[in-house]
Formats: sequence, C-alpha cells, structure tokens
Amino acid sequence: MSVETVESSAGPTPRKGISILFGLTLVGLLLFLWLLLGFATNSFWTPNNISNLLRQGAMTAILAVGQTFVIITAGIDLSVGAVVGFTSVIVAWLLAAGVPLWLALIATLAIGVLIGAFHAFGIVRMGLPAFIITLATLTSLRGIGLLITNGSTISITNEAFTNFSRADFLGVPSLFWMVIVVAVPAYIFLHLSRFGRYLFAVGSNAEAARLSGVNVNRTTYLAYILSSTCAAFVGLLLASRIGIGNATQAEGWELQAIASSVIGGTSLFGAVGSVHGPLLGAFILATINNGANLLNVNSFWQRIITGLLIIVIVYFDQLRRRGER
Amino acid sequence: MIGLQEVGHRHELRTPAGHPVPKGEPILELHSLRKNYGAVEALKPATMTFLSGEVHAIVGENGAGKSTLIKLLTGVITRTAGEILWCGEPVQLANPNEAISRGINAVHQEVVLCPHLSVAANMFLGDEMNRRGLMRKRAMTDAAQGVLDDLGFNLPAGAVLGSLTIGQQQLVATARAAMRGTQFLIFDEPTAYLTRQESEQLFRLIRRLQSEGVTIVYISHRLEEVFELADRVSVLRDGTHVGTRATGETNEAELIALMINRTIEQIYHKEHFTAGETLVETRGLSGPGFADVSLTVKAGEIVGLYGLIGAGRSEFALGLYGRHRLSAGEVFWQGSKVEIDSERKAMELGIALAPESRRDQGLCLNLPIGLNINLPVFRKLTRGLTINRAAEAANADRQIRDLKIKTPSRRVLASAMSGGNQQKIVIGKWLSHGAKLFIFDEPTVGVDVGTKAEIYRLFARLLEKGAGIILISSYLPEVYELSDRLHVFRQGRLVGSHGYRTASHEEVLAQAIGA
Repeated sequence: MSVETVESSAGPTPRKGISILFGLTLVGLLLFLWLLLGFATNSFWTPNNISNLLRQGAMTAILAVGQTFVIITAGIDLSVGAVVGFTSVIVAWLLAAGVPLWLALIATLAIGVLIGAFHAFGIVRMGLPAFIITLATLTSLRGIGLLITNGSTISITNEAFTNFSRADFLGVPSLFWMVIVVAVPAYIFLHLSRFGRYLFAVGSNAEAARLSGVNVNRTTYLAYILSSTCAAFVGLLLASRIGIGNATQAEGWELQAIASSVIGGTSLFGAVGSVHGPLLGAFILATINNGANLLNVNSFWQRIITGLLIIVIVYFDQLRRRGER
Repeated sequence: MIGLQEVGHRHELRTPAGHPVPKGEPILELHSLRKNYGAVEALKPATMTFLSGEVHAIVGENGAGKSTLIKLLTGVITRTAGEILWCGEPVQLANPNEAISRGINAVHQEVVLCPHLSVAANMFLGDEMNRRGLMRKRAMTDAAQGVLDDLGFNLPAGAVLGSLTIGQQQLVATARAAMRGTQFLIFDEPTAYLTRQESEQLFRLIRRLQSEGVTIVYISHRLEEVFELADRVSVLRDGTHVGTRATGETNEAELIALMINRTIEQIYHKEHFTAGETLVETRGLSGPGFADVSLTVKAGEIVGLYGLIGAGRSEFALGLYGRHRLSAGEVFWQGSKVEIDSERKAMELGIALAPESRRDQGLCLNLPIGLNINLPVFRKLTRGLTINRAAEAANADRQIRDLKIKTPSRRVLASAMSGGNQQKIVIGKWLSHGAKLFIFDEPTVGVDVGTKAEIYRLFARLLEKGAGIILISSYLPEVYELSDRLHVFRQGRLVGSHGYRTASHEEVLAQAIGA
C-alpha cells in the first residue's frame, strides 16, 4: 500500500491527458498511412477513392461504436455481423411486401432493439455469459434469415432507398454522414451523460455500481440494445448499398467491429473506451484494406496485416497501462 | 518441524552451508536500504536487523513504507541503494524466486491463490508431486491434509479454495508458506479479514513456527496483536525507520506516538449528542443470513453491530439497504412503514452504505476517484441530457479536500490509492448524497491509525448534523468505545444489546462467541 500512496502523491499523469495522447497517436497513424499511400500510389488521393474509403469505413465505424458500449460494460457482442445480414433481409422483405419505406426502416430498427433486448435478457435474467448468448444469436439469426429467403437473396427495387448510399451531401458520401449522425449522439451519451458514466461503472465493478444506486440491469439492457440497433442501422445501409437483402452478408464483421474498437483503445476487460477511438480504429482498418487493394497486395495479406496491427496496438496499450501503475 | 518438514524439505535451501544461524543472532540485516520511485523516496535509508527465531513486528501508517520493505525483501522490487545481508552474506534478492529459494516467504493480506483449484492443489501450486509427468493428486491431497491437521486447522484439503471464507483461505496461504521450508516468513496484515477464532489459530501457528526456529516478520495495524505476538517491534513513518523497541519495554501509547505523533486519547474520539427523532426502526426483520432483527437508530447516535464475520451483520445491512430480498419483518422510516425493495429506494429514503469490501463492493478500482465519488449523485449532477461538468468536478474536489484524500487529482484511478484513502473515497461517495442514516461496514479494516482517527472524527461531524450511524465492526474496542448502543449478532440473530460502555468487553465477546 505504501508504495502506491507514494506514487500517487508523485502525481501519475491524469488519465484524460493520456487518452488524448493515445487518440493523437491513432490520428497520427491514420495520417501517416494516408501520406504513405499518397506517395506510393497515384490513385489514393483521388476524390473517387476517398469517397470509396469513407464508404468502406463507415459501416464498420458504426458497428464499432455500438460494440464499444458493450465492451465498456465488460461484455461482448458477437452477433453484430449476423444482425447486419439479418436486418438487410428484413428490410428487403418488408419493401418487397409493399410496406412503405419509412415504416420498413422503423420496423427494421425495432428488430435491432428487440435483438439487443433479448441479449440483455439472456445475460441479466438467464445468467448466460455475453459471449454465449451473442454467439447463439449469431448462428440463429443467419439461419432465420436464410429460412425467410429460402437461401436466396431478395432484390430491392425501391430506388429512393438504393440511391441513398450512392448519394453525396456537400461532396461527402451520405454513408459517411451517417457515421456523424451516430457518433455525435453516441459521444454525448457516453462522455457527457450520466448513463455513459454508468456503463463505465458497471464494467469496472457491477456490485459497487449497484450499491451506489446504479440500475445495473437497465444499464446492461441499454448497452446491448444500442449495439444491436447500431447493427440494424448498418444493415439498412448495407442493403441500400448492395441493393439486396441476404442473410449471409457481413460475414465476420463482428470481428472487424471488435478489432476497430480495440485498436481505438477499448479494453476488453471493460471500463476503458471512447467514441472517437473506435471511429479512428475503423478508418485505420479501412485505409489498410483500401491501400492494399490499390497496391495490388493479395487480399489475404490484408487479414494478416489486420491481425498484426491488433497485436502491436494492444501491446503498446498494455505497456502504457503498465507504466501508469 | 514435525509434519511440515517432511514435505518442506524437498526444497534445497540456499543458506550458507553448514552453519545455521543460532537463535538470537542476526539472520537478515539491512544496511542503508533505500528505494526510490523516480524522484519519490518510498523508503529512506533504513538500517534494521532481524534476529533468528524472533517475531519482529513492523507498524506504521499506510504509506509509511511497510509494503515497500516487504516487496524489497521478497524480491518483488529491487533496491535503489544499500545492502542486504542474509546469514551474514550480501545477497541480491533480485527476483521472487531468489527470495523463496533462500527461504524468505510472505503471506499477503489479500489471498493470492487460485480460487477454482482445491486447497491441496493451491498448497502444491508450482511445486506439484509428479510421477512420470502425471500429477499425483491423491498423494498431494493426503499430504496437504496431513499438514493442515498437523497445524490444527480444521480444513478439508479436497475442498475448492473459493468455497472457503477469506479467513480460511488466509490460513491455507499460511500453511502453504509454512510447508515450503520457510526460514523467514513475512505476514502482511494477516488478520484483517480473520474472525477471532481464525486469528487464534493463526497465532498458534506463528508461535509454533517460531519455536521451530523460523523468523517471523509481522505487519499489522492492530497494536494489541503486536504486543501479544512480537518480541520486538519496528516503527516506520513516512518511509523512515523511526525506531525499534523490545515489546516488553514499550507500550501502545509510545508506539502510536512514534507512528503518528499523536496520543491515544485522540484516536477514539467520542462526542455525545442528544438523540433526536427515530430514523429507522426494524421489527422482526429477516432475510438471507439474518432473522428476527429488531432495532432502532435515532438521529445523533451511533448504533454498533458487533459479531464474528458471518454472524449476519453485513447481511442485515445489505437487507436494510435493499440489496437482498427480505423474507419477513417490517421497516419504519421516520415513523412510517416502507418497503425497501431496491438500493435506489434505500438511497432515496436517505440511507447510505459504505460496504464491507472496498475492492469487491465499494469501488470501481480502475476508474478515476472523481467518478467513484460522484457515482451515487450523477442524477443530481445532470442538467437536461448531460452532466454539469463543473458541478461534477467541484463535488469531487470538495470531497477530496474535506476528507483529505491524498491525491494530486480527481482523475487518478482509485486503484492507485492506499487502503485508508480508498476508504475515504467510499465514504466520500455518500457525503454529497445527503443521507440521514449512514451504514459503515468495517470502515477501518486495513486502515492506519491516523486515518482511523479521521474517520471517527467524521462520524462526530455527521452526528452533529443530525444523521444516525450504524457501525459494523469485528474490532471490539472500536464498536465498544464509539457506540451509543451496541447490539451483538450471533448466527444471524441479535443475542445482546447494551448501552454505552454498560457491558464489559468479556461479556460482549462471550455473547458473540456463544460461550
């Protein structure tokens, strides 16, 4: 004990400073990648490619923000990729059945809410580990989606819907605007509202949070519902982008989302995370994929590079935390 | 070492061959031992001698350098300067393995074993009995049981460690160290979580190890234990070794003076206030772990709940606080009947709970101090959608200042704080909440004398403002000296109630034990 007291009176750098520093490191990495690709290729800094990059990163970014809420509570949501595929089927199916667009959108998002509520129900009421319940819905949702479509895809003929993903606003792809539409409220929620503080408290020590009057169950519901709703939203964006509903789409996106979140400084042990971190993480991953395509690197390498990047970044993060102690 | 040695001798001890240190001769000498963390001196040049076969107590407030000293001796950290002589020869103690192989072991306050493994597996952890690469589980369980029986611990070697109480786990940790052929054994506040019987067992073990020639270093906040066990006692203050005394030639008052420069009368600080209205009354309250508890708490008074660990005091507190479902009985809050079915409900009535375990129940350790302090009051700090950040900072800073929490900033993680400062954070959580009834469950476990005195003075401040206090403690002098009314728990029931100092220590103790 004595050692710790002495250290603390010496003044460990306040946490906020470090997190800003870490954020800047990520920004630096992103800029470095962009500069590098700008020199290495002729096509990187073309408006077309930048739009493409922003579109690519947008969907992972939104998933990663939702995922981060869950990881901060020391949970995990493995189902987000399956939810994306499943909700793309739902919206295509509803549109094919002649449901008005606005209603189809709301209904699809509502399905996202329900899936999240089911996850939280399994965790809170049935006492299942988050890993298990979300793994179960990962496989089941893809099954249900395939049953609905009988294994095929549903085409979307609603042009207002499919044009959305190709549209630009102020020269920026609409898909990227959607990141901002999600990120700004997410930032307010996580960093400025008391519910954000509760997420951190539950992730750090649920019992202490409970005894401090925090409704732990409600906070858990909130986290999983937000994650699934973000995934359903991405399902809409994906359906708009590819013009079909297909339950096998977005395979492995849950790992992309978790990787983005972790690269962005979220701790899988809970209680550490931000909104800007996963956004940067998602665009770093998108840049690597985009650059690898431009450089004609075998796409299999992209996976290997992503894996290595996760190890390096999380390792440096560990070193930083150790230094803090 | 009968029994112990059979198992323990499998270790080759790296003592200088041929000449064991005779009893009473220096076995471990520290010359100008120093440890710096950056610019901070955690241990100022310390020169101390430990004699073979003695029980040497080390006392000091939190932050005095005790943990640093232990870590240096067990090889967890390495010294900045100075010399360590083991059996007269200079040694490095560069890593924990070197310390263990020389026969230096430590039993820590927080049990650092694997809760999912059996008692026997834990005792043999890292040193399992093998035959052709396969573990001899049966033989290990038998050997472990032999050691436990021999030590007089009534513990099953086959049980899963996590199913035992913390106190029992501590005994297992001690048996583990004893079994490993230890020559020099350091106890870091071993009784903090032990019941009285468990403490007695531990003391018997310590005396026995001593009689077998083991040198014991005993670190404790409880001075009465120091006088019961130790031959000599060293005092640390602010990283400085301020003196060593033979226990026969000193007294509690002198030690406290050395530790904090304050007298004993200033520690148990009892002010009497006129009792006001009845805040809470329970009638026949029953729930998990307690039954038929009827008591009242008035404004301006401290109601003490004494009993052994597991006697139902904490369970009663958690029940009253809405953490556990009540099975029978009624609660009246300021005269009207209430149903407390959630923690939130209890808080809204004006009940605050500083729970028993800081680490498991009290704090979000890897979050900042400020967030911990504000956790119960974020609702109040919210304006519209968002938290009023200025008010959030102001509230945290005010508690840090008022409670003298030693931290450079509210942004420092709670885990970086010492036990006493952590306890202050737990208390600080509730001061801004505006509670009327404060339940303090073991508020001074692992807290140094100086901080204890601060906490007791804080009690007086709360009473003065018209609050009532339920004080739960396993430390009799504390509840005895501070309580206006003292209730004794045994096996989940109230077995005795006394006024301020109306019963003797022995009477209260007998009721608690059921003698």
